[in-house]
Amino acid sequence: MSNRGLRIAGLHCSVDGKSILNGIDLAVEPGKVHALMGPNGSGKSTLAFALTGHPRYDVTRGTVSLDGEDLLDMSPDKRARAGLFLSFQYPAAIPGIKVANFLHAARQAVRPDSLAPAKFRALLMEKMDVLGMDPAFMSRYLNDGFSGGEKKRLEMLQLAVLGPKYAVLDETDSGLDVDALRDVCASVQALRQQDEGRDAGYLIITHYPRILQYIAPDVVHVMLDGRIVKTGGADLAHRIEREGYDTIREEIGSVV
Amino acid sequence: MKRSEALSNVLEKPAEADVLARLDPSILSLERRLQAFEHFSHAHSGRERPGRYWRVDLESLAPDIATFDFDAAASIDNPNANVLACDLRAAAGQHAERFARAFGATGVADTKFGALTTAFARAGAFVYVPADTQASEPITIEYDLPDGAASFPYTVVLAEAGSDVTIVERYRGAPRFVSGVAEIVTGENARVAFASHQQLAGTTQCVQTRLALPGKDATIDWMAADIGAALSVNELAVAIEQPGITAGVTSVFFPNGKQHVDVLSRIEHSVGNSVSNTVVKSAAIDSGQARYVGNIVIAERAQGSNAALRDDALLLSKQAHIDSVPALEIAANDVKAYHGATVGALDPDQIFYMQSRGIAAAAAERMIAIAFFEPAIERFPTRGLRDEIRAAIESKLTTR
Repeated sequence: MSNRGLRIAGLHCSVDGKSILNGIDLAVEPGKVHALMGPNGSGKSTLAFALTGHPRYDVTRGTVSLDGEDLLDMSPDKRARAGLFLSFQYPAAIPGIKVANFLHAARQAVRPDSLAPAKFRALLMEKMDVLGMDPAFMSRYLNDGFSGGEKKRLEMLQLAVLGPKYAVLDETDSGLDVDALRDVCASVQALRQQDEGRDAGYLIITHYPRILQYIAPDVVHVMLDGRIVKTGGADLAHRIEREGYDTIREEIGSVV
Repeated sequence: MKRSEALSNVLEKPAEADVLARLDPSILSLERRLQAFEHFSHAHSGRERPGRYWRVDLESLAPDIATFDFDAAASIDNPNANVLACDLRAAAGQHAERFARAFGATGVADTKFGALTTAFARAGAFVYVPADTQASEPITIEYDLPDGAASFPYTVVLAEAGSDVTIVERYRGAPRFVSGVAEIVTGENARVAFASHQQLAGTTQCVQTRLALPGKDATIDWMAADIGAALSVNELAVAIEQPGITAGVTSVFFPNGKQHVDVLSRIEHSVGNSVSNTVVKSAAIDSGQARYVGNIVIAERAQGSNAALRDDALLLSKQAHIDSVPALEIAANDVKAYHGATVGALDPDQIFYMQSRGIAAAAAERMIAIAFFEPAIERFPTRGLRDEIRAAIESKLTTR
C-alpha cells in the first residue's frame, strides 16, 4: 500500500544544459486530483515531459516511481504501459495515421488483452459522445489540421480509451472556449466515476484556475522557478485566482 | 533523317536492325522503327546525372538487343463490355483508324526512351473508350516480363469525348532491361485515371515514359508507384493544350538497398483556365538514391492557370539521398502556382508522441514512415492496388 502512487522525489531536470527543475517533491496518490499551478516558465511542462521521458529532458537527479516501479529507467512507451499518461499541451500531428487506427494501436500496446474490434468501436462511440465528438473524427488524420479544441478533445478521448493509472494533464484548459472546457472536464469526471477509473490519480498542470471549477482538486501545488513553493487545498487555487502569483512570490522571497 | 541514312546507321548495329526487321510492320513500319531507333541512339535524355551519389549514366543506358523478348505479351483484364482493350497487333489490324489516332500522338517518339520503345513496339495494350461511355470497372494491364530479357511494353489509351475510364498497369518479373511507354489521348470532357505499379526485380533497369494529351475540359490522372528495379526512371507528363483541363500527377517511390530512382513530372500549361495538382511522396533507406524533378511550365498565354506541386521526401538512413528539384517556369502573370517541398528525417516529436501512448519506438517509426506515403497512396484507385503498394512499402521497412 505504502508505495502506491506517482512519487516524485528530489527531481532535477535540465534541457539543453540549462537547469529547469531544481528539486521537485510531489506524490499523487490513487484516486486523488492534484493541481500544479504556476506562471509561464516556472517549469510545469518540463515536469510533464521529464515524467514521460522525452529524450530532450535530462533528469540529472532524483527519483520517480509509479506504484513502486522505477519510472526513470523505462523508455517512454514502457512508462505508458506501466500506466502513465500525458495529455500534451501541443500534441504532434501525424498525417497519414487515422485517429481510429492510432487509438487501436495505442490501446493494443497499453492493454495487450485488448477488446474485440466491435467492442472497441462501441467503447470509442461511448467516449466520443461524452466529449461531443463527431464520429467522422475517426477517419481524420491524427491531429492534422485540428483546431486547438479538437486536439484537446482527442487527448481526452485517448485518456478515456487507455485508462491509465496516473494522468498528467498539461495545460489541457489552454486555448479552450467554455463549451470545450466543459466537455473535456465532463469526460474526466465520467472517467473518475467509473469503476476502472476511480483509482486513477491526476496531476492537472494549469496556468489558470478555471479548469479547477470543473474538476475539484484535493491538493494544490504552486510552482515557481522549478520548485514547488507552496502546497495547500482548493483554497490556494482561489487565492491565486484573486491575487495572481505575485503575492506568493513576495511571500516566498521574504522567507528565503 | 532520310531513310537511307537511318538505315545505314542502324545497319552498323546488325542485331538491332535484324530485330527491327522482324517486328510487325502493321503496328509500325520498318522505316519509322528505324527512324525511332536512330533518334534514340543520338538524342539526349534531357536529364543530368542525378546527384553525386548516383552511379548510373542515363545517356549510355541501352538494351542488349540479343536478349530482345519476342514472347512478351500484355495480360489484359477488361470487365467492361462497352470498352475495347486488346493487344497492339489486334489494335493495328482490326481498329487501325482509332489506333492510328492515338499511337504516337503524344509525341512520345520525340523523347529518347520513348523513341526506343516506339522502335521495338510489339507487346502492348490498346484501350479504346467510345464517346460518352463510362467504364464502371478498372481495366488491368499486366506485363509479366521474362527473366533476363529486354522488354518494351507499350500501352495506348484513346478515350473519346465524355468517356470515363480507370486503368491499372503493373510491370512484374526479372527482365534485364525495360523501356515502357504509356500514352493517353482524350476527347473533350473525358476522364482517364491511369495508375502504374512498377514492381520489377532488383536486377532490372527500367525506364518509363508516360505522356498524356487531354482534350478540352478533360481530366487526366497519372499515378505511379515505382517500387522495384535496380534502376527506375519514370517520366510523367501532361500537355495542356486545351482549356479547362484538370491534370493530376501522383508519384510514390522508395529506393532501398542500392536502388536508384529518378522521377520527372512535367506539366505544360500552354493554354489557360487549367488546373494541375502534383503530389510526390518519396523515401529512401539503406543506400537508396533518388531524384525528383517537378517541372511545371505556364506559358505567357496560359492566364488563369492553377498549378500546385507538393513534394515531400523522407530520409531513413545516413547513406540514403533524395534530390528534390522543383522547376517552375511561369511566364503568365495571372496564375496561381503553389509549390511546397520538404526533405527530412523522421520527426522525433511524432515518435515521442506515439511512444507516450505505449507504442514502442521501432513500431512507431514504421507506422510514421508508412503514414508519410498515405496522402499519395490514397489517390490511387482500387483498394487492392492501394494495399499492394502499402505492403510493398512496409516490406522495405521490415526486411532490414
